[in-house]
Amino acid sequence: MRRGGVPPPHSGGQSGDSVASAAVSAESASVQAGDTRLFKYSLIAPATFIMVLVAVFPLIYLIVVSFQRLSLSDDITSFSGFVNYARILSDARLWDAVFHTLFITILALPIELLLGMLLAYHFLDDRPLKRLFVALLIIPSVISPMVAGSMWRLMFDDRYGPINQIVSWFAGHRVSILWTIDIVWAYPAIVITDVWQWTPFMFIILLAALANVDREQLDAAAIDGASGWRTFWEVTLPAIRPVMMIALLIRGLDLVRLFDSVWQLTRGGPGSATETISIYAYIRGFQEFDTSYIAAVVVVLAILFSVGLVLVLKRMAIAR
Amino acid sequence: MSTWRRHAGWYAASAAIVVVFLFPVYWIFAVSLKTPREIFKFPPAWYPATPQFNNFLVLFRDGDVWSIWHSFVLASSSTLIAMVLGVMCAYSIVRFKTGGENLAIWIISQRLLPPIAIVFPIFLIYSKLGLTDTYQGLILLYTAFALPYVIWLMRGYIQEVPLALEESALVDGASRWQILWFVVIPVTRNGIFATAVFAFIFSWNEFLFALVLTRTEVITFPVQVSQYFGAQSTFWAKISAMSVLGTLPIFFAVAAFQRYLVRGITLGAVKG
Amino acid sequence: MRTKTRISVVGGALLLQLAALTASAEENAAEKAVDAAKQYSGITLNSAEEAGLMAMLGINITGPEWKDLTGIGLNVTEIPFEELFPKQMLEHKAGSGAYDIMTIGPSWVADMVRNGALEPLDPYIEKYGVASEFDDIAPAFKDWMTFEGKTYALVVDGDVHLLYYRKDIFEDPENKEAFKAKYGYDLAPPQTWKAFGEVCRFITDKYAPDLYGAGLINTGYMHFFFSERFRTYGGKFFDPETMKATVNSQAGIDALTDMVNQLDCQPPGVQTWGFGESLSALNAGEIAMTISWPPIARWAQGINADEQALSWVPESQVIDKIGYALPPGGHPELASGIMLAVSPDSKNKDAAYLYIQWLHSKQESLKNVMRPLGLRDAFRISHYESPEYQALWPTAPDYLATLRQAGEQGYSDLAILETYKYWDSMGRAVVAAIGGKDPKQSLDDLAAEWDGLTEQIGLDRQKAAYLDWSSKPSAYRE
Repeated sequence: MRRGGVPPPHSGGQSGDSVASAAVSAESASVQAGDTRLFKYSLIAPATFIMVLVAVFPLIYLIVVSFQRLSLSDDITSFSGFVNYARILSDARLWDAVFHTLFITILALPIELLLGMLLAYHFLDDRPLKRLFVALLIIPSVISPMVAGSMWRLMFDDRYGPINQIVSWFAGHRVSILWTIDIVWAYPAIVITDVWQWTPFMFIILLAALANVDREQLDAAAIDGASGWRTFWEVTLPAIRPVMMIALLIRGLDLVRLFDSVWQLTRGGPGSATETISIYAYIRGFQEFDTSYIAAVVVVLAILFSVGLVLVLKRMAIAR
Repeated sequence: MSTWRRHAGWYAASAAIVVVFLFPVYWIFAVSLKTPREIFKFPPAWYPATPQFNNFLVLFRDGDVWSIWHSFVLASSSTLIAMVLGVMCAYSIVRFKTGGENLAIWIISQRLLPPIAIVFPIFLIYSKLGLTDTYQGLILLYTAFALPYVIWLMRGYIQEVPLALEESALVDGASRWQILWFVVIPVTRNGIFATAVFAFIFSWNEFLFALVLTRTEVITFPVQVSQYFGAQSTFWAKISAMSVLGTLPIFFAVAAFQRYLVRGITLGAVKG
Repeated sequence: MRTKTRISVVGGALLLQLAALTASAEENAAEKAVDAAKQYSGITLNSAEEAGLMAMLGINITGPEWKDLTGIGLNVTEIPFEELFPKQMLEHKAGSGAYDIMTIGPSWVADMVRNGALEPLDPYIEKYGVASEFDDIAPAFKDWMTFEGKTYALVVDGDVHLLYYRKDIFEDPENKEAFKAKYGYDLAPPQTWKAFGEVCRFITDKYAPDLYGAGLINTGYMHFFFSERFRTYGGKFFDPETMKATVNSQAGIDALTDMVNQLDCQPPGVQTWGFGESLSALNAGEIAMTISWPPIARWAQGINADEQALSWVPESQVIDKIGYALPPGGHPELASGIMLAVSPDSKNKDAAYLYIQWLHSKQESLKNVMRPLGLRDAFRISHYESPEYQALWPTAPDYLATLRQAGEQGYSDLAILETYKYWDSMGRAVVAAIGGKDPKQSLDDLAAEWDGLTEQIGLDRQKAAYLDWSSKPSAYRE
């Protein structure tokens, strides 16, 4: 390891030699600056290079392909105008997929937030064994979503799964809900699976956030005689709001690109009733090989998505 | 007396919560130990009457178990590389504000990009370059996915390192590299563990890209499991056994690193 | 020696010689393949096969046997049926040659050939093959193997749908009386779909919940089942002039509505049944009728059941009780059928071809189509007429005769350009209807989707392909 330049003089040094030492430090500073520049750029270089490689080039390629006409029957690589983009407008199945995705998001997100909050409050105070319970509860969130989807697919099975059994006990007679192929029950199945898997995630974040709420403020509110509800609304909520927003953002984005668990539960079925955006794109692109068309779809979605994201981030930054 | 009741009540409620959340996990473990006849019993058996490891043996015999190895190689390689490069990059951003706001925002936006957007062109490009179904191809990809996350998290941890520590090291004549290696990294050790565990878990569980890009050479365990779902019949014995094999490493990671994991999820949000 | 005796001795010797010659000529293909393959000993071939029971043949039996004979290892990759086409096409586009041996259905040949995804096999057949092997392939399956004059795959499985029914229930005199009294005609394997509904309802009313009238497959291969019913009801897929999809004609609506309504007399939860479930139910004696692929007969009879691999299927409770008939309408769907092909990206094309030839040969294929494992079904005349096969169980001759008839009268699968997409959307539409969507709506949406597909692919091209397919007698059997 190379020794870096001349060590700077102690800060807060005597003023006596200040001019001389300033000159010395100025010179060494520029030497330092040169070294530092090399240093700091060489630190970010490899990481940035890889990220650019994997993010930028594919997107460029995507745009190029979206103007061609590659599909199962065709291999036309000449510029074909906006023909693929035009198709997007009339693609009902695509817009259905967008709707399905948003529907799932709007259902799952609040439930996860609410349950996470309840759990966080329940586990807020320190008690013996609290650590154990919390550690056990992390497990659903670290399992592969694909495995989670498979697990629930088995649980929801009419003949061999326990869920219908349990429901039957409560109902008093045999209940035969076809969770994964009945149009009415497929969405609940998907939402239940997602809530099961990701409530712990919300729970842990909210737990930490609640634990960080200023004790003094809470005590002050108690002294003032504020009810639990008011305390929550006026003291706790503003305090945890930034963290909560981030958690919602992360989960919301994950829900928008939902693929693994739905794929395992229903494969987008029955029919195409539970197709999410990612599933639709996968089927069109990797099973039907409508390469150019899907490229156009993805470009449009990526643009909409980025715009939406920037807007949301700006609002959050403002809120802070 | 009433406090005792309250405590008992709390424990009962907590136990119930844990049971509800871990029931599906119990179920898949139970199924993996059941005989195929038991699995297809109606009404379903709540526990295996005679637990047996045959389902696992079948996986070993048929060689499906290799998928666990592939997952391990991919996840550990990409995590290692991402950690090294990511820590370096995060340090540069924090200490020197390299690239300013723009770089930081761009990196964060990478994490938020939906995979479906790039899975196509990646597939096409990889096909042309012969990178499908290779270790190199997927390690590159998983490293690139992990990097934004690593950088984001490590940024938070590095920000917590007191400047004074570094400055006094500088005074003592340490080079920049030495500071990074001998001062910053040891201090952020906890954060590094947490981040590494997360990155590893993420790569381990990744499905979509592996589905598209792996075939026979490098097939990962989630893709292997998905192959057991057939139009003829669903082979729950294999599915559950392979799922258990693929989830056990995660369990060990959670057990060993649970303190770091909790801090990790938290800081990811708080420091964002 | 007396002249007469001499003649008979010489005659006998000649006959023996002839028999030996014929026998050795017939064994040639399998042995030829093995001999030629020995030079590749030590390599491993990758085979893409349908996940589950089909793949078990390669994993448990033919793979190890091939290795013993030639020293070539076999690595089987299991792919769910609905992903066979996309995954293998995807593989070809990626060009990495991950699969040496491919599993394909006849409807995909056109698309795969046009994309260069299949290796032409004629040169290999010339080099290693035995011409007489191709003589006795049943007419129904013969032209699957060629496209535009060239051979691209070898048949290993002749699929048709049969109606399997419980003879003991149908022949019970009490039942016969009661049924005739109620419906006015004899209780027998139903020849129309209306009769099917009535028979099913009758049996369920009497025996439920121990026994239900029928248990049909409702997930996974639905476009086959709907295609069958649809055409029996008189439906046509397209208008030959305009190429507009006519799946939502009255015939279609009736067919789909009946399909959904007839679920009533079937066991609860039947909407989620796939091939495995209906097989298990029949074996366990829970249903009196089902329509499915040929292996059902062998499983229900408990033939050659390999203990370990099939341990999840209940032991058959219905041995000697199953009858075989053509499904209602008399024109079963030649539902898929499996052929093996060689990938043009393979690095071991010769070895791959030799494995296929070995499996396809008269000698080996006979063994395989007699097993329940592997789901390979008779496709050669020699299979139908094989004394060994006919002796497997008492009603085997009936079974083989029905199979043969089914092949001769069956509907071929729709095969046009990008057939897979049409199939996939049809399957989804049917499953949606079973899951509760209005049948008319499902079919209208399906027709719209089909029209959209046709437009993308190019109306004229698709019309030409459709006219080509529909001109064959097996398309609509009018």
